[in-house]
Amino acid sequence: MAASQEGATSDRDLMARLAAGDREALAPLMERHYPRLYRLALSYVRNPDDALDVVQETFVKAFRKADRWDGSTEAGPWLSRVAVNQSIDRWRRNRRRQATFTPLAEGDHDESLAAGGPDPDRRVLRREMRDRLAMALEDLPERQRAVVVLRHYQEMSLDEIAQTLGMRLGTVKSTLHRALGRMRTGLRGELQS
Amino acid sequence: MIGSQVSHLRFRRRVGLLAAGALEGRDQERTRAHVEACPRCRREYAELAAVVAAIEADPVRSAVPELPVSALLDRVDRQIDRAAARPPVAWRRLALPAAAVAALAVVLLGPELASRLGPEPPAPAPTRATVAPDPAAALSAEMLDRLDRNMARGSTARYLSEAQDVLLAVAATEADCVREEDRVDVGEAPDRSRELLARRALLVEGRPEAVASARAVLDDVEMALREVADLPSCVRRRDVERLRREVDQRHLHMRIRLMTRELEG
Repeated sequence: MAASQEGATSDRDLMARLAAGDREALAPLMERHYPRLYRLALSYVRNPDDALDVVQETFVKAFRKADRWDGSTEAGPWLSRVAVNQSIDRWRRNRRRQATFTPLAEGDHDESLAAGGPDPDRRVLRREMRDRLAMALEDLPERQRAVVVLRHYQEMSLDEIAQTLGMRLGTVKSTLHRALGRMRTGLRGELQS
Repeated sequence: MIGSQVSHLRFRRRVGLLAAGALEGRDQERTRAHVEACPRCRREYAELAAVVAAIEADPVRSAVPELPVSALLDRVDRQIDRAAARPPVAWRRLALPAAAVAALAVVLLGPELASRLGPEPPAPAPTRATVAPDPAAALSAEMLDRLDRNMARGSTARYLSEAQDVLLAVAATEADCVREEDRVDVGEAPDRSRELLARRALLVEGRPEAVASARAVLDDVEMALREVADLPSCVRRRDVERLRREVDQRHLHMRIRLMTRELEG
């Protein structure tokens, strides 16, 4: 999560330009953070199309609200925070949609996520494991899931997570512990087999 | 004994952090030593480490977006442009309810305003000391109530009709915003849905009994509008098709038409 690159404009400079309404600063910022934010969103919403929408909204918000970035945190965690909030919004929306209307068409993201080896049995097992994992993640409360995503999908330190989510370090620790314990319960049968 | 239990409880939380690879230095060493000496903690650590290993094997961790950054930048640019071209939503949200309140005020206060602003009315006839109930006054209260009720029903009918326009517009949209990704531009439909949802709250708060028969349709329309309100203006075509199917499955257009007719009398 380096804030600046050698020989390139720093994230801080880019954010300052965005805050001044310079839209040209979006391209280098996106080049730098798009794949990471996409993985963050995908690990939360578990659907590639939704993840792209989340990243799109994140950069639109970054442009619109760059003037609210006070520079006390690095741009990376700030963008991650926006992406987490967008992911939570998208997740709530999808859940409401499933509760009220029929679920979204399924299956299209499975292929793109499939970790296929040549062995079909192994592929099926992996796929089942992935589905169970997704369900275990989905069962977590929003904040616990955000902590797991930032720790294990974004490989952030606990301090970075605290900074990104605006939580105290102690709260991050207890949240992570509770989240893993809850996932263990959800995955118990799968992990034993 | 109690001391060792407290120590154990203190370490239990750290077992999770150890499995998550989130402990360092002395903290890590001490927790690891405790885990090795405590069979229950060892079992817990093994299970939590298996959870972490399962997460770390998740292909999502190394997923690469299929959409090139240039295409995403294009989408972001378009969304910013579209938002810039629209007036602020909050202002438009206020405009319709304000107009409705103003219209209602004119209807309800009309006679009073007319009596103040119009030509001098003829002097009233002398009244007796004991006043019998005035049938004209009772009638006018009843009329006002009926008028109010009819207005509520009329507003609901207009709301349903406008909601139907939005749903039809979304279903019929053909304007591609990013052709290669099979997305369509639903334009102002999300904003219009949000405006309608704001009006819907006023309808129900105003005269709920006047529109009781429309409740089921209103609820289904609200769900559909919420769906539309949540859409980005550049939306996947299949999401639009899914919405259209859901509306069709609920026979929403037919029910709106019938209810609108009933409300309009």
